[in-house]
Amino acid sequence: MTVGLRLFLSSAGFGIAIALAYWFTSREIVGTFMLGVMAFGLSFVAGYMIVAEREADLIGDEKNATMQSGAGELVGTYTVTSPLPLGSAVAVTCIGLGIVVSPAIAVLGILAVLAFGALFVIQSR
Amino acid sequence: MASNWLIFLAVGACVGVIVLGLILFPLVRWRRRPGDAEPPQFANNYPLEITWTVVPLLMVGGLFVATYRAEARIDAVAVHPAAIVAVDAYRWGWTFGYRGGPTVGGASSGPASLGVIQKMPELVLPLGETTRIELSATDVDHGFWIPDFLFKRDAIPGQTTVFDLSPTKLGTFEGRCSAFCGLQHESMLFRVRVVSPSAFVAWEKAQR
Amino acid sequence: MGESAEVSAVAVPAMPEAVERHDLLSWLTTTDHKRIGILYLLTSLAYFGVSGILSLMIRTQLARPNNTFVDAHQYAQLFTLHGTAMIFLFVAPFAFGLGNFLIPLQIGAADMAFPRLNATSYWLFLFGGLVVFLGAATNEGAAASGWTAYPPLSEIRVSTGLGQDLWIVGVFLVSVATIVTSINFVTTVFIFRAPGMTMWRIPIFTWEMIATSLLVFMAFPSLAATLLLLFVDRHMGGHAFDPAYGGSPVLWDHLFWFFGHPEVYVMILPYFGVISEIVPVFSRKPIFGYTGLVLAAFAIAGLSMGVWAHHMFTTGVVNNPFFAFVSFLIAVPTGVKFFNWIATMWRGSISFETPMLFAIGFLLNFLIGGITGVMLASPPIDYQAHDSYFVVAHFHYVLGGGSLFAIFAALFFWWPKMFGIKLDETLGRWCFGLLFVGFNVTFLPMHFMGVMGMPRRVFTYDAGGPLPILNLIATCGSYIMFAGVSLFVVNAIVSARARIPVGNDPWNANSLEWWTTSPPPEHNFESLPPIRSERPVYDARVARS
Repeated sequence: MTVGLRLFLSSAGFGIAIALAYWFTSREIVGTFMLGVMAFGLSFVAGYMIVAEREADLIGDEKNATMQSGAGELVGTYTVTSPLPLGSAVAVTCIGLGIVVSPAIAVLGILAVLAFGALFVIQSR
Repeated sequence: MASNWLIFLAVGACVGVIVLGLILFPLVRWRRRPGDAEPPQFANNYPLEITWTVVPLLMVGGLFVATYRAEARIDAVAVHPAAIVAVDAYRWGWTFGYRGGPTVGGASSGPASLGVIQKMPELVLPLGETTRIELSATDVDHGFWIPDFLFKRDAIPGQTTVFDLSPTKLGTFEGRCSAFCGLQHESMLFRVRVVSPSAFVAWEKAQR
Repeated sequence: MGESAEVSAVAVPAMPEAVERHDLLSWLTTTDHKRIGILYLLTSLAYFGVSGILSLMIRTQLARPNNTFVDAHQYAQLFTLHGTAMIFLFVAPFAFGLGNFLIPLQIGAADMAFPRLNATSYWLFLFGGLVVFLGAATNEGAAASGWTAYPPLSEIRVSTGLGQDLWIVGVFLVSVATIVTSINFVTTVFIFRAPGMTMWRIPIFTWEMIATSLLVFMAFPSLAATLLLLFVDRHMGGHAFDPAYGGSPVLWDHLFWFFGHPEVYVMILPYFGVISEIVPVFSRKPIFGYTGLVLAAFAIAGLSMGVWAHHMFTTGVVNNPFFAFVSFLIAVPTGVKFFNWIATMWRGSISFETPMLFAIGFLLNFLIGGITGVMLASPPIDYQAHDSYFVVAHFHYVLGGGSLFAIFAALFFWWPKMFGIKLDETLGRWCFGLLFVGFNVTFLPMHFMGVMGMPRRVFTYDAGGPLPILNLIATCGSYIMFAGVSLFVVNAIVSARARIPVGNDPWNANSLEWWTTSPPPEHNFESLPPIRSERPVYDARVARS
């Protein structure tokens, strides 16, 4: 069991424990609900990691690995520069501002977000 | 309640002085001198680490017990109070509605220092007896704070908060709003006047 | 469009054709975690500068009673923007910027897991802050209901202006940015560690960033949802917080503080990490109690989710003893960290370069802030102290005396790695001195002001009694702090002119970022040492000698 999974499992356990402790000491619905959602979210991540970990095999977890043992492995690809981040952020900000100031800006923002989102996905292929 | 403050101040001061000493001592005793060899590279001491987890745990346990007791005393609400006052906070003043008695209060007209004749709402309380306060607000959150009583409660629209005041000293005390409520928040002052029980009865009669 | 490069996580031969561009366009389109980190740091420092000016205006108004420097409405905008900017736009984003720069370097990775999302987070943070401040340009001014925006005060009937709505949108954008960044951090550390860099060998700073990210996952969605609720209340006929329709202002208190309390730990855990990196280097010893520090970080994170209503002790409708108990408990892991740092210095060989001076200042200030925090965890004490200057003193001691000092420690420590030049040491010591003295002169009197009955968020106070002189002293302290901060700016400019270059490891430090050049190449590492402990650079130095 990786350290990361242990982290989320124990966090989920703690979340469940504190949600129950809070309910039985306070009978207060708002806090219990929030703690419950938190416990659920942590449990979900832990559950997902249990499934995902069956395939995982990380070079970082091998105590005596060296540079050479990890060399040549393809870890991933990354972009060096991209206009998508700035563009998407402007678009999302337009949605927010538009909701407050002018619906036209919001609509432009939504269209731009859809366009940039599509480009993000296309470039990831 | 003052005793709770004193307990915490005493414990806090002791802990503070000890930890301060522990921080300053190494800085003086082991400051680097030219030609110093590398110091011993220890990084663990499990008995020590367990001790400095368990001892603070016991200390906060003790503080919690003291706190719980003090709070139980302060929050207790008597079954048969001598007087009941409905306190209503609004932008920007206070009304005090005495059950079976007068309703007094109103807006306050600026901080005491302005030199303007103070028209301040006044809450009159009988000495040595329990007055139940039923606190609420009409518009936004306010705070009912009497610093000399070391006590406050929030006045929240849509709910009535109940607590007891049992003053032990005669005199006039300042009250103010503690929760930011808008542009005249700092002038939302009131006065608390503690009088003898007979003077209290006389005052109530005189308001009619 | 975007170029892509396939990279393996380890030894990469130098690519002679790759020349790093320095023009504006390359910065606007960067996805390099180091550049994004620097952008975060510079932007958050700029927001700090603006918010600092706001705080000087606040202190100037409060220098004497019945002052007319600003009026009540301007004052309300000042403290709202000051709190919002310091919390959402400076202390937390600075930590995320530091994490952005350092995490891949500290674990031996080439970049973050999601570089384009990383950049998107930064721009959302920048724009979110601008949207908040945009409120100041509207007719009715910026948001003026405090950084906590309690309804009904923040509802449309009372806060009628656009400023409150812009505040909601701006803070919402920053929340989204923060959540995305935290996803990036956790994924990167879980997946992209170099060979031999097991989880129990990563630096304490990286562990603290994981704990911080966990807190963000648990807390920030609540903030985002709560902001939406307020917006619906204001403009779409919602009544979540309106008692006339069955809602309650206390609902906001629960939802906001469910986020708000973990948020303050988001603002301190990274800086515990900074201290944990700096103290060992300048004591020439390993960090004491590595496992204890990691467990304490997660104990703090977990417990901090269960204390939110200690901000609501005076409402009379929450289970005070439950929250008092859990709030007291948090003091224990925090104390464990303090003892670990002290034990790191114990029998060490301590030198007092500027990063270490600021780290010591952190320890001294945070000690006071921590003690007043334990006091505030007691409801009977909180009945007096809540909404008074005692609380203002407490949180400024932990955020100003704590986080801010760690921020300066981090700046002096990692500036050489980021920019390849050293900051001037003499100016650095003067900066520390002015800040330490100025900070304590400003905020120590506030404890007494609070206990004497001065509430928060007031633009004037009684002329009688000791409040005027205490406030005047605090104002003088704030001007001294301004001098200290200005000296840092001078230092940055002077050092940039002097351009004294530094090697890979000017401090004889421990973690992987000190293995590579200053500044690092675009892909971070040309080579990596063997990683067999949490101090691979130290181990390599020992092996060489």
